[in-house]
Amino acid sequence: MNDAEIVAALAEARRAAAEVPERIREIGRSAYAWRTVDAELAALSADTDAAVGTRAEPAAVRALTFAARDLTIEVEVTDDALHGQVVPPRPGEIELRDRTGVVAVARVDELGWFVLGPVPRGMFRLHLRAGDAVVVTEWITI
Amino acid sequence: MRNDPSVIDLVERARLGDARAWDALVDRYAPLVWAVCRRFGLGGADAEDVAASVWLRLVERLDTIREPAALPGWLATTVRRECLTALRGRKHQVPVGDESNLDSVDDPEFDELLLAQERHIALRAAFDNLPEHCRHLLTLLFDDPPAPYAQISSSTGTPVGAIGPTRRRCLDRLRRDPTLAAVVEVERR
Repeated sequence: MNDAEIVAALAEARRAAAEVPERIREIGRSAYAWRTVDAELAALSADTDAAVGTRAEPAAVRALTFAARDLTIEVEVTDDALHGQVVPPRPGEIELRDRTGVVAVARVDELGWFVLGPVPRGMFRLHLRAGDAVVVTEWITI
Repeated sequence: MRNDPSVIDLVERARLGDARAWDALVDRYAPLVWAVCRRFGLGGADAEDVAASVWLRLVERLDTIREPAALPGWLATTVRRECLTALRGRKHQVPVGDESNLDSVDDPEFDELLLAQERHIALRAAFDNLPEHCRHLLTLLFDDPPAPYAQISSSTGTPVGAIGPTRRRCLDRLRRDPTLAAVVEVERR
């Protein structure tokens, strides 16, 4: 790159940065407040919806699996609620959180079952406390 | 792309709770997030939803990032996935045209976009590392057409005769930036 080319490339790079709406950066800055340092992250390890390539026939019931080190949280999405199970089963409490905070709380019974509703629109995550385990799933949008 | 030590430092500090380091990461990568949204035709509230989801995923990945050099690629892929989800969600209302190529793993246009963004990121970072007088002088030269030397001289306090050599020294300095050198060919004329 000669001098003129590098000046042109720099100008273009800076122009591209100036075109980004300020909201995109604001949203990014505020995302930091969501950092969870106390909970183990459970990553989405299976999603019946995402698994189907062309999605000519969507699965009847969408099923999600979030895996943490020692447990998984399995969730089925029905019309009115999230039906889930903690595996291996252990009782506790599970919260449904969206970007505004906790929107629903449910008990996890002895068999690990829980029901959270209504089905959230937009992005959400689950936060589980069971015994000494504190697990938060990654964010997902249904 | 090689590991930029300043990104490693920012990630490390953000991990430890330094919000300003996080803000710097957001500043650095916001144009990449936006560029991918635009490529999928998303703007306004749709792009904001995509961005929110991507930034949150990045926050929770902070502790597990091993290779900061892989961040732009991870971000671009994550933004793309979120854009496709957003497009599917509104497919019933708004026709979005042929998505088949957008969904493809092998997408040369997308790879090009990512390379261009990595170049932009390195250029801006190298520019930000320049001394203040270089940044000021080069900013004046970015104008199209560039500001006349007489005006640059009065604005920077550099004698007209020194502007050419100063500009060259500043650009040489920019070329020596190791991260930039890794992504652009910076041979002299």
